[in-house]
Amino acid sequence: MKPILKLTEIRKSFGAVRALKGVSFELLAGEVHALLGENGAGKSTLIKVITGAHLPDGGKLEVAGAEVSHLSPSKARELGIACIYQQPALFPDLSVAENIALRLKKTGIFSRVRWQQQRANAVELLQRIGAEISPDSEVRSLSMPEQQLVEIACALGSGAKIVIMDEPTASLTQKEQHLLFKVVRDLRASGVGVVYISHRLEEIFALADRVTVLRDGESVGTNAVDTLTESQMIKLMVGREVASIYPPCEGAPGKVVLSLKNLGCAASGVKGVTLDVRAGEIVGMAGLVGAGRTELARILFGITPADTGEIVLDGAKITISNPGEAIARGIAYVPEDRRRHGVILEMPIAQNMTMAIHPKLFPGSILRFKAESLLAANFIRDLGIKAYGPEAPGGSLSGGNQQKVSVARWLATEPKLLILDEPTQGVDVGAKSEIHKIIRGLAKDGLAVLMISSDLPEVLGMSDRIAVMRGGEMVGVIDKDQADAHSVMAAALGTNGKEVAI
Amino acid sequence: MPALVAAIGIALIIISRQIDISIGSQFSMCAIIAGVTAASGLPLGVSIIAAIGAGAMMGALNGVLVAYLKLPSIVVTLATMVTWQEALRLWQQGRLLSLPDGIQWFGLSQPVGQTVVISIAFILLIGAALAMKHLSAGRFIYAIGTDAEAARLAGIDPKRTTFGVFVLMGALAGLAAVLNLVQSPQVQPNCGDGLELKTIAAAVVGGVAISGGRGTLFGVLLGMLLLANVNPALTHFHQPPYWEKAIQGLVILLAVLADGLRSRKNQL
Amino acid sequence: MSFKSLLARHEAVLVFVILFEVILFQVLGRNFLTERNFSNVFRHSVEIGLLAVAMTPVILTGGIDLSVGSMMGLCAVLFGMMVNALGMDPWVAAALAVASGALGGGINATLITRLNLPPLIVTLGTFSLFRGLAEALTKGAESFSGFPASFLALGNSTVAGLPAQIWVFFAVAAGIWFLVHRTTFGRSFRAIGYAPEGARYAGIPVARNTGLAYVIAGAVAGLAAVILVARLGEARANAGIGYELLAITAVVLGGVSIFGGSGTVFGTFLGWIALAILNNGLTRISDFKIMDQTVASVARELSGLLTGLLLLTALAIGASIKTLAVRRARQQPIPLSKPDPATP
Repeated sequence: MKPILKLTEIRKSFGAVRALKGVSFELLAGEVHALLGENGAGKSTLIKVITGAHLPDGGKLEVAGAEVSHLSPSKARELGIACIYQQPALFPDLSVAENIALRLKKTGIFSRVRWQQQRANAVELLQRIGAEISPDSEVRSLSMPEQQLVEIACALGSGAKIVIMDEPTASLTQKEQHLLFKVVRDLRASGVGVVYISHRLEEIFALADRVTVLRDGESVGTNAVDTLTESQMIKLMVGREVASIYPPCEGAPGKVVLSLKNLGCAASGVKGVTLDVRAGEIVGMAGLVGAGRTELARILFGITPADTGEIVLDGAKITISNPGEAIARGIAYVPEDRRRHGVILEMPIAQNMTMAIHPKLFPGSILRFKAESLLAANFIRDLGIKAYGPEAPGGSLSGGNQQKVSVARWLATEPKLLILDEPTQGVDVGAKSEIHKIIRGLAKDGLAVLMISSDLPEVLGMSDRIAVMRGGEMVGVIDKDQADAHSVMAAALGTNGKEVAI
Repeated sequence: MPALVAAIGIALIIISRQIDISIGSQFSMCAIIAGVTAASGLPLGVSIIAAIGAGAMMGALNGVLVAYLKLPSIVVTLATMVTWQEALRLWQQGRLLSLPDGIQWFGLSQPVGQTVVISIAFILLIGAALAMKHLSAGRFIYAIGTDAEAARLAGIDPKRTTFGVFVLMGALAGLAAVLNLVQSPQVQPNCGDGLELKTIAAAVVGGVAISGGRGTLFGVLLGMLLLANVNPALTHFHQPPYWEKAIQGLVILLAVLADGLRSRKNQL
Repeated sequence: MSFKSLLARHEAVLVFVILFEVILFQVLGRNFLTERNFSNVFRHSVEIGLLAVAMTPVILTGGIDLSVGSMMGLCAVLFGMMVNALGMDPWVAAALAVASGALGGGINATLITRLNLPPLIVTLGTFSLFRGLAEALTKGAESFSGFPASFLALGNSTVAGLPAQIWVFFAVAAGIWFLVHRTTFGRSFRAIGYAPEGARYAGIPVARNTGLAYVIAGAVAGLAAVILVARLGEARANAGIGYELLAITAVVLGGVSIFGGSGTVFGTFLGWIALAILNNGLTRISDFKIMDQTVASVARELSGLLTGLLLLTALAIGASIKTLAVRRARQQPIPLSKPDPATP
């Protein structure tokens, strides 16, 4: 059988970060092909290449046997490619029927909108997936799962030959999931090729015919699903040996610095988190994207303040309602999105480094340039930042050095607790191990470190204890000597009922 | 009535998440262009086409700068506002332009002419409302105002749509100027002053969200009627009419405030 | 090329433009380079200069304030009423006018920072509101005059060889220069302009500092109104009409990015001078005929048009530079970001 979609050696880089290093993938008509991989393995980038949202740097993309270059979102749609994104890309102010219609076919500017037909069409599609949603309601009034269902109806209605589903069940209820599975099987029966992305292995076993595993931007193999066991799949995803290049931990941890009891925030979906972090200890936080790790960090930093539970810092119960308060109490947060939150790219690195200590370094609000550049020069030396000087704009540095600037900003606040969110994402190997050394050094000096990371070897190699989150809840805390890739991944995925040692 | 025609345009601009404060100047410029062509003895049809064409061209300039150079529309239209205003001052030196008799009420009697003007405005309003509801173009405008990135993913070109809305705005300002022209025997080079505020106020009062994507043209009509009654109401309650501008400003602020509070509630 | 050298170049270009203007008008105009005219240039544009330097922090934060011209009208009328109707001492009234300006700026600040409303529409609303209040208070036509000579001296006398009000301008400009370039507030204006979320993540009090910029703009508009009244000897509701545009033009011309973040007070100062000389120089052109028409009358009218065109050109050039910068930035890694979870 000829594949309806064939990718050969697709490459895509974002600057220095190589997101896809030559991925090949093929999809047959009438199959459900699962795409599996850790966070950051390149799944999202691959999907965006298929839907035309990203142009690949190299490689070949063939749809129904014909090579396609310069794919755009509208061209992809004409070729019969539909995608259900994890985050619904719908128009909140428009009705459900209209959203479906806008996504279905490209219309001329002066063509008439056939409301009756549009509505009937929507009713039929929603019925086919068994969704009880009124076609006339505004999308903004729908819940997240309902929006997801609308997305699915869009894909279904477009008569697409290739349907991509990016974690479609992430927010669905049991009943909705069963309906979805039926839709996927119907699609397969009618000869549509489905690319199915999910972290829930049981779904993959239930639905998929074949599975391709991505790791670090490369495909590590395509297998028929029934030839693999769950544990083999996890092994394929995790793959790498945990190298012993991580700096060793020394000394016993000290007293408890941070203690969370039943902490939660309704707005960001974090509930009932209980955790202790001690001085001199690195607690790794593992979990899938959307498991609530960054959200927890944002609560601790006062960006989305907690509404339930308590935070105890150095034995005193505290509330944190904005970042300024968090900083004053000795909590530092190196955010995940370095370019938007971590470093202001247009500003010199010296100014970036002092940004969180304005009140301390500049009494009376008056800038002291000498003190500033002295401080910056010290950090540049201590952290080994490669830049032509304190006046170099943040944007002129490589990713790893930008990250060091971001870390320096927070070290300057002399915190008690340092929260790092994906500290080595998009950082090259050399800088990565330097950052690891810095983090371990800080812990050795008595800092309590909470490190969020989706890089499993990093979590395993760096942490003294590993806290795993799933669905906004803390599902387990694993000691270093009991943790391995399999147990952490299993806890994060929530597979098999096996309880994890706490 | 002419203000209603311009308000249709401004509503589309705001729905697409932009703003245009140059429409007063566009209006004046088109009025003078129509007046000058008419005064030089050309047929009325030529004046009308000249006014609408000039408006569309001025709109196109705004459109290029906003849609393709990605400049903030407030600053762009502020700059074009003063440019046209000053160009007009330079050209006309503030003179009143007397119009030939034939142009009054399209050369018809006053009652008939009045009916024609009112019907044009209403036909346009109904036509535009229908188009916003039943033509793809109208839905595109709502779509880009709601979420330009989602629109791009759905295969709509946000740049072209934004550009088109600005051109349409200019053309409507031109038409509004013509409708205004036929109502009086003279035309002043500052006849469009304040039109932008009046129409923006009407639109936001009529429920067009300043954050884009929401609002209907019938709401704009209601907003227009409401504001048109501010002055008569002030007179009725024996209040001086000088409060009009202040009330307009207050109304704009209250409308954005309401909109801001509503979207804040939606986020939670 | 670093940003600093780019800015330095921008300011160097402006100095060159100003020199070019001076030479051009000296050749074409009459009595251009005289001490008297020199004083005139500044006496007549001090108000715009004040608005421009005070607008600089606002634009650095990525915002805009369209209400400053209307604020001048309102403050002028309030000042006139306080002196004429209430018989207040003009200097006390002046201080109160400045305070009212700050209050008006506070209204803008509250709506923009506490309720998260877009600055352009908020200040468009107050643009109409303040002017409307001024007109309502004067019933459309009334004006106030008959101020004591000691007060009028602020607008018409000379101190140390320069118009009295220019010293006020220097003081304000120096103060704002200090605020922007030598304090943590200025630092935070830039950070907010470049990346409001990034500034928040660094613990900067974004709402408070952004609000401060609008309050300053309002207060300075009140001061500009007092100076205008002192120069004209008359307080009217139409004081400062269209000044917001001239101020924004000076700021943009001075190299301050309309998108926020980059720019200097000195740049704004040069932008203002270039604008002021252009407007004055055009009125000096005479004895110069094209096709039997004296250019003089045309030139005088040309200044407003040129202001608009100048702003458009400066904007378009600024946007092209930004496009280039974006293109350069694309060469750099972009993180595979995930959507923000529930930003309140």
